[in-house]
Amino acid sequence: MNEEQKQEYYKKYKKEKQKGVKFYPDIVYKDIIVSFGLFLLLIGLATFVGVDSAPKADPSDTTYIPRPEWYFLFLFQMLKYFPGQLEWVGTAIIPAIAVLALILLPFFDRNPKRFWRKRKLAISIMTVIVIGIVALTVVAVVTTPAQEESGTLAGTISEKIVAGEELYGLYCVECHGADGEGGEIIGVEGLEGVEVKSISSQDEMYTRSDETFFNIIGFGQGSLGMPPFSKAYAGELGPGEIEAIVAFMRYTWDDRIEIPAEAAQASAIPELAPDEVPSYEVHIVPIVKRYCISCHRPGKKNGEYFITTYDEVMQSGDYAPNVIPGDLTSNLIRMIHREEIEAGGPMPPTKALKPELIDIFERWVLGGAPNTVDDAAAASTGSAEPPSEETLPTGTPTPSP
Amino acid sequence: MAAKILDWLDERLGIKTVYDTVLDRDVPKVNWWFTLGSASLFLFVMQGITGIFLTVYYVPTPDHAADSILYIMNGVDFGWLIRGIHHWGASLMVIFVFIHMLRTFYCAAYKFPRELTWVTGVILLLATLGMGFTGYLLPMNQRSYWATTVGTEIAATVPFIGTFIMRVLRGGTDISAVTLARFFSAHIWILPAVLVLTISIHMYLIVRLGISSIPKEDD
Ligand code: HEC
Ligand code: HEC
Ligand code: HEM
Repeated sequence: MNEEQKQEYYKKYKKEKQKGVKFYPDIVYKDIIVSFGLFLLLIGLATFVGVDSAPKADPSDTTYIPRPEWYFLFLFQMLKYFPGQLEWVGTAIIPAIAVLALILLPFFDRNPKRFWRKRKLAISIMTVIVIGIVALTVVAVVTTPAQEESGTLAGTISEKIVAGEELYGLYCVECHGADGEGGEIIGVEGLEGVEVKSISSQDEMYTRSDETFFNIIGFGQGSLGMPPFSKAYAGELGPGEIEAIVAFMRYTWDDRIEIPAEAAQASAIPELAPDEVPSYEVHIVPIVKRYCISCHRPGKKNGEYFITTYDEVMQSGDYAPNVIPGDLTSNLIRMIHREEIEAGGPMPPTKALKPELIDIFERWVLGGAPNTVDDAAAASTGSAEPPSEETLPTGTPTPSP
Repeated sequence: MAAKILDWLDERLGIKTVYDTVLDRDVPKVNWWFTLGSASLFLFVMQGITGIFLTVYYVPTPDHAADSILYIMNGVDFGWLIRGIHHWGASLMVIFVFIHMLRTFYCAAYKFPRELTWVTGVILLLATLGMGFTGYLLPMNQRSYWATTVGTEIAATVPFIGTFIMRVLRGGTDISAVTLARFFSAHIWILPAVLVLTISIHMYLIVRLGISSIPKEDD
């Protein structure tokens, strides 16, 4: 701009100011309205939309699809059009030119005119760029696939609940009890005597959302003794598995939700006919999976008594054998009757088994502690003899963790 | 009494002059688009306030960052609100600063005598984006970790000095505790300092030069 144009500008601007308003109150008042609106919007977003949670960073999980903040998406999208050798054009040259052009805009746009019709070129270029940025952002959002979570468990909600129940039995029962009842922890290394509140109470169910459960299970509550279970935190569970546990907890303990019949059926302990002999594989496995395995697996404090296979049930333990076919004074039977014996205290330590479950254990031992359904059937048709030597060591497959 | 106190203060601080030049000044008739700058400023102040509260519980180490965020969301009274506002405020600020820039562009407000207002504005835009980039890593969750991984990888493709830039950003070859410390420091000290300083200049220029008028047919 030359001197003359400058003077003309000042003259015009002065006239505009005279026709104008005072900064205070006119402008300030508008500003405050907008800011207040924004304030309400922020509170609304924070309250009703919230912040998405994500699992803790896991550098080894390379399947995670990187998802930059949305306002950088257009950059990432643009880079896709500069593959291989040309990548640096997209990563260095274009952004550098864009930033420089933006900074220097007032110095190379020498057109003294301000009305839009007299600066068509500048306005067109900027408009094209803005439309481009918006379009690239939209394309990026639409084409980025949804995150596939590793460790996802397939299937229906019922399958999820059943899977969750098994995982709960394996990982959580040792501290929280089979029904999430809590109480004093007994028989867990490091947490002996710690009081745990119920995680199945109405209070708990009504005040904790699924997301909160997911986070607590994933990341633990370090200060209280709840260990983290997510793989991202050196635990053993993927997000899908944790979701399954949450589904199990919600559908089993929340009195506002009905558990699907299919799931209820699948998780029920199989019925016994009046004089049927229970077998390990059909009747004992579901019970020990729910009430015992959490402690009686390798790596836990349990008198070296593992209950993951038939052979282990029959033969392992510091005070083995803990199950003697036909003998109701076997350690296991006395302990589930809550006797204090040499091998240890009542089992499970915190809460007595229901009488009908104790009954199943007793009939199983009396019937010769058969492994398979066939052995059990043989036992119930008269010959109450212990299973033959061949069947004893075969065992059933390990209840998978 | 009040008048006396005002007089006393005015003698020392010159508040009447401040009132006359800042508040009681004449401005051209403008429209609602002209509130976007002050809206950006409001959002920046909100980010500052909520950010300060967040640092009370946030721990900038890879082992504890995610837990401290979890604790803020679940354990601290109204922690979810503070974090929610900070989270959404960041996105809104980018939007508002960007649209504010478009407003000044379409109004040709970057032309004489407001060139420097524009230049400081561009610095503000870049610093705002920088805040977004550095802040995104801080929760140390999967999303932030991998976004920062690819974000810093991009720097490595710059010819000749790319690897160097990436190593400066990451403080090593990988995203680590050092990276987090760097991003944290940039997010709460360096960039806010740049922003505050640049906003001050921006504001000074606006008061000094006046808000531009909406261009008319003959402008
Ligand atoms: C080593 C013991 C241990 C194991 C195993 C364990 N927890 Fe915990 N958990 C705790 C302790 C201790 C607390 C703190 C309880 C308290 O504050 O009363 C806790 C707290 C919780 C809480 C939060 C209670 C609340 O509302 O604050 C939930 C939910 C929970 N555990 C679920 C689980 C689930 C599900 C599993 C299995 C994946 C599990 N826990 C395994 C010890 C354990
Ligand atoms: C909270 C963890 C926990 C649970 C649940 C649990 N146990 Fe135990 N169990 C132990 C510990 C610990 C010992 C070691 C003895 C002791 O220190 O009291 C043990 C010992 C035993 C022993 C003696 C083993 C030996 O040879 O020393 C038997 C039998 C036993 N448990 C059976 C059961 C049965 C059956 C169940 C399920 C109905 C069960 N336990 C559930 C913790 C548990
Ligand atoms: C943290 C970010 C920013 C803040 C807080 C801010 C604040 C403000 C405020 C309060 C005004 C007064 C007029 C108005 O509200 O429209 C203003 C004007 C202005 N801003 Fe910004 N701004 C920011 C970013 C930017 C950016 C990114 C640009 C452009 C690159 C920019 C360029 C300008 C220009 C040229 C004016 C003068 C407008 C006129 O006089 O009409 N600002 N800014």
